Amino acid sequence: MDVKRTISDLQDFYSLSLHGLLGIAGRPFYFKDALLQMDYAGAGSVVIVVIVDLFVGMALSLQLAAELSSLGLKMYIGMIVGISVVRELGPVVTALVFTGRVGAGMASELGSMALGHQVDTIRVFGLDPVKKLVTPRIVSSLIMLPALTVIGVAVSLLGGYYIAVFVSHQSGTVYWTSIRNILTVENVLAGASKPFIFAYLISSICCYMGLSTRGGSVGLRQATTRAVVMSIVMIIVADFVLTRMLLYVLGFSV
Amino acid sequence: MIRFEEVNFAYGARSVLRSVSLSVGFHERVAVLGGSGEGKTTILKLILGLIRPDTGSIIIDGDDITRRSESELRETRMKFSIVFQEGALFDSLDVKENVAFCLREYTDMSEDEINARVRHILASVGVEQALELMPEELSGGMHRRVSIARSLALDTPRMFLYDEPTTGLDPVNADNICGLIAELSKNGKGFIMVTHKVSDALKVADRFIFLRNGSLLFDGNRHELLNSDHPDIMIFINEVCIQGPSGA
Ligand SMILES: Nc1ncnc2c1ncn2[C@@H]1O[C@H](COP(=O)(O)OP(=O)(O)OP(=O)(O)O)[C@@H](O)[C@H]1O
Ligand SMILES: [Mg+2]
Repeated sequence: MDVKRTISDLQDFYSLSLHGLLGIAGRPFYFKDALLQMDYAGAGSVVIVVIVDLFVGMALSLQLAAELSSLGLKMYIGMIVGISVVRELGPVVTALVFTGRVGAGMASELGSMALGHQVDTIRVFGLDPVKKLVTPRIVSSLIMLPALTVIGVAVSLLGGYYIAVFVSHQSGTVYWTSIRNILTVENVLAGASKPFIFAYLISSICCYMGLSTRGGSVGLRQATTRAVVMSIVMIIVADFVLTRMLLYVLGFSV
Repeated sequence: MIRFEEVNFAYGARSVLRSVSLSVGFHERVAVLGGSGEGKTTILKLILGLIRPDTGSIIIDGDDITRRSESELRETRMKFSIVFQEGALFDSLDVKENVAFCLREYTDMSEDEINARVRHILASVGVEQALELMPEELSGGMHRRVSIARSLALDTPRMFLYDEPTTGLDPVNADNICGLIAELSKNGKGFIMVTHKVSDALKVADRFIFLRNGSLLFDGNRHELLNSDHPDIMIFINEVCIQGPSGA
Protein backbone atom coordinates (compact mmCIF):
# COMPACT_ATOMS: atom_id res chain seq x y z
CA MET A 1 0.00 0.00 0.00
CA ASP A 2 2.70 2.46 1.02
CA VAL A 3 4.97 1.34 -1.81
CA LYS A 4 2.15 1.92 -4.27
CA ARG A 5 1.65 5.40 -2.83
CA THR A 6 5.34 6.24 -3.12
CA ILE A 7 5.48 5.07 -6.71
CA SER A 8 2.45 7.12 -7.68
CA ASP A 9 3.95 10.17 -5.91
CA LEU A 10 7.19 9.69 -7.83
CA GLN A 11 5.24 9.41 -11.08
CA ASP A 12 3.44 12.65 -10.27
CA PHE A 13 6.76 14.32 -9.52
CA TYR A 14 8.36 13.20 -12.78
CA SER A 15 5.33 14.26 -14.76
CA LEU A 16 5.26 17.67 -13.05
CA SER A 17 8.95 18.37 -13.55
CA LEU A 18 8.81 17.21 -17.16
CA HIS A 19 5.72 19.24 -18.04
CA GLY A 20 7.06 22.21 -16.13
CA LEU A 21 10.15 22.18 -18.31
CA LEU A 22 8.31 21.46 -21.55
CA GLY A 23 6.01 24.36 -20.75
CA ILE A 24 8.83 26.68 -21.82
CA ALA A 25 8.23 25.69 -25.43
CA GLY A 26 4.41 25.54 -25.45
CA ARG A 27 1.97 28.42 -25.62
CA PRO A 28 0.91 30.28 -23.58
CA PHE A 29 4.10 31.26 -21.84
CA TYR A 30 3.50 33.47 -18.82
CA PHE A 31 6.27 35.94 -19.42
CA LYS A 32 5.20 38.40 -16.76
CA ASP A 33 5.04 35.71 -14.06
CA ALA A 34 8.50 34.49 -15.06
CA LEU A 35 9.82 38.05 -14.81
CA LEU A 36 8.36 38.52 -11.33
CA GLN A 37 9.90 35.24 -10.23
CA MET A 38 13.28 36.24 -11.66
CA ASP A 39 13.16 39.44 -9.72
CA TYR A 40 12.37 37.58 -6.52
CA ALA A 41 14.80 34.71 -7.09
CA GLY A 42 17.65 36.65 -8.66
CA ALA A 43 17.80 40.26 -7.62
CA GLY A 44 16.48 39.42 -4.17
CA SER A 45 19.16 36.78 -3.53
CA VAL A 46 22.27 38.69 -4.56
CA VAL A 47 23.08 40.11 -1.14
CA ILE A 48 22.84 36.83 0.74
CA VAL A 49 24.79 34.96 -1.95
CA VAL A 50 27.53 37.59 -1.80
CA ILE A 51 27.78 37.40 1.99
CA VAL A 52 27.81 33.61 2.17
CA ASP A 53 30.21 33.05 -0.70
CA LEU A 54 32.56 35.78 0.52
CA PHE A 55 32.95 34.12 3.90
CA VAL A 56 33.28 30.64 2.39
CA GLY A 57 36.10 31.90 0.16
CA MET A 58 37.83 33.62 3.08
CA ALA A 59 37.52 30.62 5.41
CA LEU A 60 38.86 28.27 2.76
CA SER A 61 41.79 30.54 2.02
CA LEU A 62 42.53 30.90 5.72
CA GLN A 63 42.57 27.14 6.30
CA LEU A 64 44.85 26.58 3.34
CA ALA A 65 47.18 29.38 4.39
CA ALA A 66 47.52 27.86 7.87
CA GLU A 67 48.29 24.44 6.50
CA LEU A 68 50.43 25.33 3.50
CA SER A 69 52.63 27.95 5.16
CA SER A 70 54.13 25.34 7.49
CA LEU A 71 55.05 23.34 4.39
CA GLY A 72 56.33 26.43 2.62
CA LEU A 73 53.80 25.96 -0.18
CA LYS A 74 51.83 29.18 0.26
CA MET A 75 52.08 30.04 -3.44
CA TYR A 76 49.62 27.21 -4.13
CA ILE A 77 46.81 28.90 -2.20
CA GLY A 78 45.44 30.59 -5.31
CA MET A 79 45.40 27.39 -7.30
CA ILE A 80 43.68 25.31 -4.64
CA VAL A 81 41.16 28.02 -3.73
CA GLY A 82 40.43 28.53 -7.42
CA ILE A 83 39.84 24.89 -8.22
CA SER A 84 37.72 24.21 -5.15
CA VAL A 85 35.62 27.32 -5.61
CA VAL A 86 35.10 27.11 -9.36
CA ARG A 87 34.46 23.40 -9.62
CA GLU A 88 32.82 22.60 -6.31
CA LEU A 89 32.14 25.08 -3.56
CA GLY A 90 30.79 27.99 -5.58
CA PRO A 91 28.03 26.04 -7.33
CA VAL A 92 27.11 23.94 -4.30
CA VAL A 93 27.11 26.72 -1.70
CA THR A 94 25.14 29.04 -3.97
CA ALA A 95 22.61 26.28 -4.67
CA LEU A 96 22.18 25.64 -0.95
CA VAL A 97 21.61 29.33 -0.28
CA PHE A 98 19.16 29.40 -3.20
CA THR A 99 17.27 26.45 -1.71
CA GLY A 100 16.96 28.12 1.66
CA ARG A 101 15.79 31.41 0.30
CA VAL A 102 14.02 30.78 -3.00
CA GLY A 103 13.10 27.09 -2.79
CA ALA A 104 11.52 27.40 0.63
CA GLY A 105 9.68 30.49 -0.61
CA MET A 106 8.33 28.65 -3.64
CA ALA A 107 7.15 25.69 -1.58
CA SER A 108 5.40 27.77 1.05
CA GLU A 109 3.84 30.15 -1.47
CA LEU A 110 2.46 27.38 -3.66
CA GLY A 111 1.47 25.45 -0.53
CA SER A 112 -0.62 28.27 0.80
CA MET A 113 -2.14 28.77 -2.66
CA ALA A 114 -3.08 25.09 -2.74
CA LEU A 115 -4.61 25.24 0.73
CA GLY A 116 -6.56 28.41 -0.05
CA HIS A 117 -8.15 26.84 -3.15
CA GLN A 118 -6.24 29.31 -5.33
CA VAL A 119 -4.72 26.48 -7.37
CA ASP A 120 -8.20 24.97 -7.80
CA THR A 121 -9.40 28.38 -8.93
CA ILE A 122 -6.72 28.46 -11.61
CA ARG A 123 -7.85 25.01 -12.77
CA VAL A 124 -11.48 26.10 -12.76
CA PHE A 125 -10.60 29.11 -14.90
CA GLY A 126 -9.44 26.61 -17.48
CA LEU A 127 -5.73 27.33 -17.04
CA ASP A 128 -2.98 24.79 -16.50
CA PRO A 129 -1.47 25.36 -13.04
CA VAL A 130 1.77 23.75 -14.19
CA LYS A 131 2.16 26.30 -16.98
CA LYS A 132 0.96 29.19 -14.87
CA LEU A 133 2.85 28.43 -11.65
CA VAL A 134 5.58 25.84 -12.20
CA THR A 135 7.08 26.78 -15.57
CA PRO A 136 7.80 30.43 -14.64
CA ARG A 137 9.55 29.22 -11.48
CA ILE A 138 11.65 26.65 -13.31
CA VAL A 139 12.58 29.20 -15.96
CA SER A 140 13.52 31.84 -13.42
CA SER A 141 15.66 29.34 -11.49
CA LEU A 142 17.37 28.10 -14.65
CA ILE A 143 18.37 31.65 -15.47
CA MET A 144 19.04 33.07 -12.04
CA LEU A 145 20.92 30.29 -10.23
CA PRO A 146 23.71 30.17 -12.86
CA ALA A 147 23.92 33.96 -12.77
CA LEU A 148 24.09 33.94 -8.97
CA THR A 149 26.70 31.19 -9.12
CA VAL A 150 28.94 33.34 -11.32
CA ILE A 151 28.63 36.18 -8.84
CA GLY A 152 29.18 33.81 -5.91
CA VAL A 153 32.33 32.30 -7.44
CA ALA A 154 33.75 35.74 -8.19
CA VAL A 155 33.09 36.92 -4.65
CA SER A 156 34.61 33.74 -3.16
CA LEU A 157 37.76 34.25 -5.18
CA LEU A 158 37.91 37.85 -3.95
CA GLY A 159 37.53 36.64 -0.37
CA GLY A 160 40.35 34.17 -0.95
CA TYR A 161 42.45 36.97 -2.39
CA TYR A 162 41.85 39.18 0.64
CA ILE A 163 43.07 36.50 3.05
CA ALA A 164 45.99 35.42 0.87
CA VAL A 165 47.28 38.95 0.37
CA PHE A 166 46.36 40.92 3.48
CA VAL A 167 46.42 38.20 6.14
CA SER A 168 48.88 35.64 4.78
CA HIS A 169 51.06 38.27 3.01
CA GLN A 170 51.21 36.59 -0.36
CA SER A 171 51.81 38.35 -3.63
CA GLY A 172 48.50 39.34 -5.24
CA THR A 173 49.95 38.81 -8.69
CA VAL A 174 50.82 35.21 -7.92
CA TYR A 175 47.29 34.66 -6.60
CA TRP A 176 45.56 36.05 -9.69
CA THR A 177 47.99 34.33 -12.06
CA SER A 178 47.22 30.96 -10.53
CA ILE A 179 43.51 31.74 -10.67
CA ARG A 180 43.84 32.62 -14.33
CA ASN A 181 45.76 29.41 -14.96
CA ILE A 182 43.09 27.23 -13.47
CA LEU A 183 40.29 28.93 -15.43
CA THR A 184 40.63 26.37 -18.22
CA VAL A 185 37.74 25.28 -20.37
CA GLU A 186 37.54 21.98 -18.48
CA ASN A 187 37.41 23.59 -15.05
CA VAL A 188 34.89 26.22 -16.06
CA LEU A 189 32.68 23.62 -17.75
CA ALA A 190 32.89 21.36 -14.72
CA GLY A 191 31.59 24.19 -12.54
CA ALA A 192 29.22 25.90 -14.94
CA SER A 193 27.11 22.88 -15.84
CA LYS A 194 26.17 22.26 -12.23
CA PRO A 195 23.94 25.26 -11.47
CA PHE A 196 21.59 24.38 -14.33
CA ILE A 197 21.02 20.89 -12.95
CA PHE A 198 20.71 22.22 -9.39
CA ALA A 199 18.23 24.91 -10.49
CA TYR A 200 16.03 22.35 -12.19
CA LEU A 201 16.16 20.04 -9.17
CA ILE A 202 15.39 22.78 -6.63
CA SER A 203 12.55 24.37 -8.56
CA SER A 204 10.80 21.15 -9.51
CA ILE A 205 11.13 19.60 -6.05
CA CYS A 206 9.92 22.74 -4.28
CA CYS A 207 7.03 23.33 -6.71
CA TYR A 208 5.95 19.72 -6.43
CA MET A 209 6.03 19.76 -2.63
CA GLY A 210 4.19 23.07 -2.55
CA LEU A 211 1.43 22.01 -4.91
CA SER A 212 0.87 18.72 -3.11
CA THR A 213 0.39 20.41 0.28
CA ARG A 214 -2.54 19.05 2.28
CA GLY A 215 -3.72 19.55 5.81
CA GLY A 216 -3.60 23.14 7.01
CA SER A 217 -0.67 24.92 8.59
CA VAL A 218 0.91 21.70 9.85
CA GLY A 219 0.75 20.34 6.31
CA LEU A 220 2.33 23.54 5.05
CA ARG A 221 5.15 23.24 7.54
CA GLN A 222 5.75 19.64 6.51
CA ALA A 223 5.66 20.50 2.82
CA THR A 224 8.16 23.33 3.20
CA THR A 225 10.48 21.28 5.38
CA ARG A 226 10.34 18.35 3.02
CA ALA A 227 10.96 20.60 0.02
CA VAL A 228 14.12 22.09 1.59
CA VAL A 229 15.45 18.80 2.97
CA MET A 230 14.86 16.93 -0.29
CA SER A 231 16.44 19.72 -2.31
CA ILE A 232 19.54 19.83 -0.12
CA VAL A 233 19.99 16.07 -0.20
CA MET A 234 19.46 15.98 -3.95
CA ILE A 235 21.93 18.81 -4.52
CA ILE A 236 24.66 17.02 -2.58
CA VAL A 237 23.98 13.66 -4.21
CA ALA A 238 23.66 15.16 -7.68
CA ASP A 239 26.87 17.09 -7.11
CA PHE A 240 28.77 13.88 -6.44
CA VAL A 241 27.28 12.07 -9.42
CA LEU A 242 27.88 15.05 -11.69
CA THR A 243 31.44 15.47 -10.50
CA ARG A 244 32.12 11.82 -11.19
CA MET A 245 30.62 12.08 -14.67
CA LEU A 246 32.25 15.38 -15.57
CA LEU A 247 35.70 14.28 -14.46
CA TYR A 248 35.30 11.24 -16.65
CA VAL A 249 33.92 13.12 -19.65
CA LEU A 250 36.44 15.93 -19.43
CA GLY A 251 39.27 13.42 -19.19
CA PHE A 252 40.64 14.08 -15.70
CA SER A 253 42.40 11.09 -14.19
CA VAL A 254 41.43 10.46 -10.58
CA MET B 1 -27.42 19.19 -18.31
CA ILE B 2 -25.48 17.80 -15.34
CA ARG B 3 -26.16 14.17 -14.52
CA PHE B 4 -24.78 12.17 -11.59
CA GLU B 5 -25.17 8.41 -12.04
CA GLU B 6 -24.69 6.29 -8.95
CA VAL B 7 -21.76 8.43 -7.80
CA ASN B 8 -19.76 7.15 -4.87
CA PHE B 9 -17.01 9.21 -3.36
CA ALA B 10 -14.79 8.74 -0.31
CA TYR B 11 -11.88 10.67 1.15
CA GLY B 12 -9.62 7.76 2.03
CA ALA B 13 -11.70 5.52 4.25
CA ARG B 14 -14.37 8.17 4.97
CA SER B 15 -17.28 7.69 2.64
CA VAL B 16 -18.79 11.06 1.68
CA LEU B 17 -21.28 10.37 -1.12
CA ARG B 18 -23.13 7.06 -1.48
CA SER B 19 -24.66 6.26 -4.87
CA VAL B 20 -25.93 9.74 -5.53
CA SER B 21 -27.95 10.12 -8.71
CA LEU B 22 -29.43 13.39 -9.83
CA SER B 23 -29.77 15.57 -12.86
CA VAL B 24 -29.83 19.33 -13.05
CA GLY B 25 -30.42 21.51 -16.09
CA PHE B 26 -28.15 24.49 -16.77
CA HIS B 27 -31.08 26.90 -16.37
CA GLU B 28 -32.29 25.54 -13.03
CA ARG B 29 -32.01 27.43 -9.76
CA VAL B 30 -31.00 24.79 -7.29
CA ALA B 31 -30.17 24.96 -3.62
CA VAL B 32 -28.24 22.09 -2.09
CA LEU B 33 -28.96 21.96 1.62
CA GLY B 34 -27.47 19.88 4.35
CA GLY B 35 -25.55 19.99 7.59
CA SER B 36 -21.89 20.71 7.90
CA GLY B 37 -19.66 18.02 6.47
CA GLU B 38 -22.43 16.26 4.54
CA GLY B 39 -20.58 16.58 1.23
CA LYS B 40 -22.10 19.70 -0.30
CA THR B 41 -18.80 21.21 -1.33
CA THR B 42 -17.74 17.78 -2.55
CA ILE B 43 -20.61 17.80 -5.07
CA LEU B 44 -19.43 21.09 -6.56
CA LYS B 45 -15.85 19.85 -6.81
CA LEU B 46 -17.06 16.71 -8.56
CA ILE B 47 -19.00 18.77 -11.11
CA LEU B 48 -15.85 20.72 -11.92
CA GLY B 49 -13.69 17.62 -12.13
CA LEU B 50 -11.43 18.86 -9.33
CA ILE B 51 -11.87 15.44 -7.73
CA ARG B 52 -13.01 12.21 -9.33
CA PRO B 53 -15.70 9.81 -8.08
CA ASP B 54 -14.60 6.37 -6.96
CA THR B 55 -17.39 4.74 -8.94
CA GLY B 56 -20.26 6.03 -11.05
CA SER B 57 -20.21 8.69 -13.71
CA ILE B 58 -20.81 12.40 -13.99
CA ILE B 59 -22.15 13.43 -17.34
CA ILE B 60 -22.16 17.05 -18.40
CA ASP B 61 -23.76 17.87 -21.72
CA GLY B 62 -23.57 14.22 -22.70
CA ASP B 63 -19.87 14.05 -21.94
CA ASP B 64 -18.67 11.70 -19.20
CA ILE B 65 -16.14 13.90 -17.42
CA THR B 66 -14.90 11.10 -15.17
CA ARG B 67 -13.02 9.74 -18.17
CA ARG B 68 -11.51 13.03 -19.22
CA SER B 69 -7.93 14.05 -18.62
CA GLU B 70 -7.07 17.31 -16.87
CA SER B 71 -6.51 19.15 -20.16
CA GLU B 72 -9.71 17.80 -21.69
CA LEU B 73 -11.69 19.04 -18.69
CA ARG B 74 -10.92 22.64 -19.55
CA GLU B 75 -13.89 23.03 -21.86
CA THR B 76 -16.31 21.63 -19.28
CA ARG B 77 -14.95 23.85 -16.54
CA MET B 78 -15.39 26.95 -18.67
CA LYS B 79 -19.14 26.29 -18.66
CA PHE B 80 -19.21 27.06 -14.96
CA SER B 81 -18.21 29.86 -12.70
CA ILE B 82 -17.63 29.01 -9.06
CA VAL B 83 -17.40 31.06 -5.92
CA PHE B 84 -15.55 28.95 -3.37
CA GLN B 85 -16.58 28.81 0.25
CA GLU B 86 -13.35 30.56 1.27
CA GLY B 87 -13.50 33.06 -1.58
CA ALA B 88 -10.09 31.89 -2.81
CA LEU B 89 -8.95 35.25 -4.14
CA PHE B 90 -5.36 35.29 -5.37
CA ASP B 91 -3.72 36.84 -2.33
CA SER B 92 -0.70 38.15 -4.21
CA LEU B 93 -2.91 40.24 -6.51
CA ASP B 94 -5.00 43.25 -5.58
CA VAL B 95 -8.76 43.31 -6.02
CA LYS B 96 -8.56 44.88 -9.45
CA GLU B 97 -6.14 42.25 -10.78
CA ASN B 98 -8.20 39.47 -9.24
CA VAL B 99 -11.27 40.58 -11.11
CA ALA B 100 -9.26 41.28 -14.27
CA PHE B 101 -7.58 37.86 -14.14
CA CYS B 102 -9.80 36.11 -16.68
CA LEU B 103 -10.13 39.22 -18.82
CA ARG B 104 -6.36 39.32 -19.27
CA GLU B 105 -6.30 35.60 -19.93
CA TYR B 106 -9.14 35.24 -22.40
CA THR B 107 -9.77 38.60 -24.00
CA ASP B 108 -7.55 41.13 -25.71
CA MET B 109 -9.17 44.14 -24.08
CA SER B 110 -7.08 47.25 -23.73
CA GLU B 111 -6.01 48.44 -20.29
CA ASP B 112 -8.75 51.12 -20.36
CA GLU B 113 -11.44 48.62 -21.29
CA ILE B 114 -10.31 46.28 -18.51
CA ASN B 115 -10.38 49.15 -16.02
CA ALA B 116 -13.87 50.13 -17.03
CA ARG B 117 -15.17 46.58 -16.92
CA VAL B 118 -13.61 45.86 -13.52
CA ARG B 119 -15.09 49.05 -12.07
CA HIS B 120 -18.48 48.20 -13.51
CA ILE B 121 -18.47 44.67 -12.07
CA LEU B 122 -17.25 45.81 -8.66
CA ALA B 123 -19.95 48.45 -8.57
CA SER B 124 -22.59 45.86 -9.40
CA VAL B 125 -21.64 43.92 -6.26
CA GLY B 126 -21.20 47.10 -4.26
CA VAL B 127 -17.48 47.05 -3.49
CA GLU B 128 -16.10 49.60 -5.97
CA GLN B 129 -14.23 51.28 -3.11
CA ALA B 130 -12.08 48.15 -2.68
CA LEU B 131 -10.48 48.42 -6.14
CA GLU B 132 -6.92 48.94 -4.93
CA LEU B 133 -6.98 46.86 -1.75
CA MET B 134 -5.23 43.56 -1.27
CA PRO B 135 -7.41 40.54 -0.37
CA GLU B 136 -6.03 40.46 3.19
CA GLU B 137 -7.35 43.99 3.73
CA LEU B 138 -10.94 43.00 2.94
CA SER B 139 -13.62 42.08 5.44
CA GLY B 140 -15.29 38.69 5.09
CA GLY B 141 -18.30 40.09 3.29
CA MET B 142 -16.21 42.19 0.91
CA HIS B 143 -14.01 39.16 0.21
CA ARG B 144 -17.08 37.13 -0.73
CA ARG B 145 -18.41 39.88 -2.97
CA VAL B 146 -15.10 40.35 -4.73
CA SER B 147 -15.02 36.59 -5.40
CA ILE B 148 -18.48 36.86 -6.90
CA ALA B 149 -17.28 39.81 -8.97
CA ARG B 150 -14.33 37.80 -10.22
CA SER B 151 -16.62 34.96 -11.26
CA LEU B 152 -18.70 37.46 -13.28
CA ALA B 153 -15.83 38.87 -15.30
CA LEU B 154 -16.41 36.66 -18.32
CA ASP B 155 -19.82 36.27 -19.91
CA THR B 156 -19.12 32.74 -21.12
CA PRO B 157 -20.19 30.56 -18.13
CA ARG B 158 -23.61 28.99 -18.45
CA MET B 159 -24.11 28.22 -14.80
CA PHE B 160 -22.95 29.61 -11.48
CA LEU B 161 -21.86 27.48 -8.56
CA TYR B 162 -21.95 29.19 -5.18
CA ASP B 163 -20.48 27.53 -2.12
CA GLU B 164 -22.06 29.01 1.02
CA PRO B 165 -22.29 32.52 -0.44
CA THR B 166 -24.05 33.98 2.60
CA THR B 167 -22.49 32.10 5.50
CA GLY B 168 -20.85 34.31 8.05
CA LEU B 169 -22.34 37.54 6.71
CA ASP B 170 -24.61 39.95 8.53
CA PRO B 171 -28.28 39.81 7.44
CA VAL B 172 -28.03 42.95 5.33
CA ASN B 173 -25.03 41.72 3.38
CA ALA B 174 -26.49 38.24 3.09
CA ASP B 175 -29.67 39.75 1.71
CA ASN B 176 -27.69 41.81 -0.80
CA ILE B 177 -25.89 38.74 -2.02
CA CYS B 178 -29.15 36.81 -2.36
CA GLY B 179 -30.50 39.70 -4.39
CA LEU B 180 -27.41 39.60 -6.58
CA ILE B 181 -27.73 35.86 -7.10
CA ALA B 182 -31.40 36.21 -8.03
CA GLU B 183 -30.55 39.08 -10.39
CA LEU B 184 -27.84 37.08 -12.14
CA SER B 185 -30.14 34.14 -12.74
CA LYS B 186 -32.68 36.23 -14.63
CA ASN B 187 -31.18 35.78 -18.08
CA GLY B 188 -31.54 32.01 -18.08
CA LYS B 189 -28.24 31.20 -16.40
CA GLY B 190 -29.02 28.86 -13.56
CA PHE B 191 -27.08 28.21 -10.41
CA ILE B 192 -26.37 25.62 -7.81
CA MET B 193 -26.14 27.24 -4.43
CA VAL B 194 -24.76 25.23 -1.58
CA THR B 195 -25.87 26.42 1.82
CA HIS B 196 -27.12 25.35 5.19
CA LYS B 197 -29.33 28.40 5.57
CA VAL B 198 -32.79 27.42 4.36
CA SER B 199 -33.98 31.01 4.65
CA ASP B 200 -31.47 32.19 2.05
CA ALA B 201 -32.16 29.22 -0.19
CA LEU B 202 -35.89 30.01 -0.13
CA LYS B 203 -35.20 33.56 -1.32
CA VAL B 204 -33.53 32.54 -4.56
CA ALA B 205 -33.95 28.89 -5.51
CA ASP B 206 -36.88 26.95 -6.83
CA ARG B 207 -35.52 23.46 -6.52
CA PHE B 208 -34.17 22.10 -3.26
CA ILE B 209 -31.93 19.12 -2.69
CA PHE B 210 -31.33 17.92 0.82
CA LEU B 211 -28.21 15.92 1.53
CA ARG B 212 -27.99 13.56 4.49
CA ASN B 213 -25.43 10.86 5.27
CA GLY B 214 -24.10 10.93 1.75
CA SER B 215 -27.42 10.40 0.00
CA LEU B 216 -30.24 12.59 -1.28
CA LEU B 217 -32.86 12.78 1.41
CA PHE B 218 -35.09 15.13 -0.50
CA ASP B 219 -35.35 16.60 -3.98
CA GLY B 220 -38.30 18.81 -4.77
CA ASN B 221 -39.79 22.27 -5.08
CA ARG B 222 -40.54 24.91 -2.46
CA HIS B 223 -44.01 23.64 -1.69
CA GLU B 224 -42.82 20.08 -1.16
CA LEU B 225 -39.96 21.30 1.03
CA LEU B 226 -42.14 23.38 3.30
CA ASN B 227 -44.66 20.57 3.69
CA SER B 228 -42.14 17.82 4.22
CA ASP B 229 -42.75 15.81 7.34
CA HIS B 230 -39.26 14.32 7.53
CA PRO B 231 -37.92 15.17 11.00
CA ASP B 232 -34.42 16.18 9.79
CA ILE B 233 -35.82 18.54 7.21
CA MET B 234 -38.31 19.94 9.67
CA ILE B 235 -35.47 20.95 11.97
CA PHE B 236 -33.97 23.01 9.15
CA ILE B 237 -37.30 24.52 8.19
CA ASN B 238 -38.31 25.34 11.73
CA GLU B 239 -35.34 27.67 11.89
CA VAL B 240 -36.99 29.66 9.10
CA CYS B 241 -40.46 29.54 10.59
CA ILE B 242 -39.24 30.96 13.88
CA GLN B 243 -37.50 33.82 12.07
CA GLY B 244 -40.43 34.18 9.70
CA PRO B 245 -39.83 33.22 6.09
CA SER B 246 -39.34 36.21 3.84
CA GLY B 247 -40.30 34.71 0.52
CA ALA B 248 -42.57 31.80 1.30
N1 LIG C 1 -9.43 17.27 1.59
C1 LIG C 1 -10.12 16.44 2.40
N2 LIG C 1 -9.54 15.35 2.92
C2 LIG C 1 -10.21 14.50 3.70
N3 LIG C 1 -11.51 14.64 4.05
C3 LIG C 1 -12.17 15.70 3.56
C4 LIG C 1 -11.51 16.67 2.72
N4 LIG C 1 -12.41 17.61 2.38
C5 LIG C 1 -13.56 17.27 2.99
N5 LIG C 1 -13.42 16.13 3.70
C6 LIG C 1 -14.46 15.44 4.46
O1 LIG C 1 -15.52 15.14 3.57
C7 LIG C 1 -16.77 15.40 4.15
C8 LIG C 1 -17.57 16.32 3.26
O2 LIG C 1 -16.89 17.54 3.13
P1 LIG C 1 -17.54 18.78 2.39
O3 LIG C 1 -16.50 19.83 2.34
O4 LIG C 1 -18.14 18.36 1.11
O5 LIG C 1 -18.68 19.19 3.42
P2 LIG C 1 -19.73 20.37 3.32
O6 LIG C 1 -21.07 19.74 3.23
O7 LIG C 1 -19.35 21.34 2.28
O8 LIG C 1 -19.60 21.03 4.77
P3 LIG C 1 -19.65 22.58 5.19
O9 LIG C 1 -21.08 22.98 5.23
O10 LIG C 1 -19.05 22.59 6.56
O11 LIG C 1 -18.85 23.33 4.19
C9 LIG C 1 -16.50 15.99 5.52
O12 LIG C 1 -16.79 14.99 6.47
C10 LIG C 1 -15.05 16.31 5.54
O13 LIG C 1 -14.51 15.98 6.78
MG1 LIG D 1 -18.56 23.20 2.23
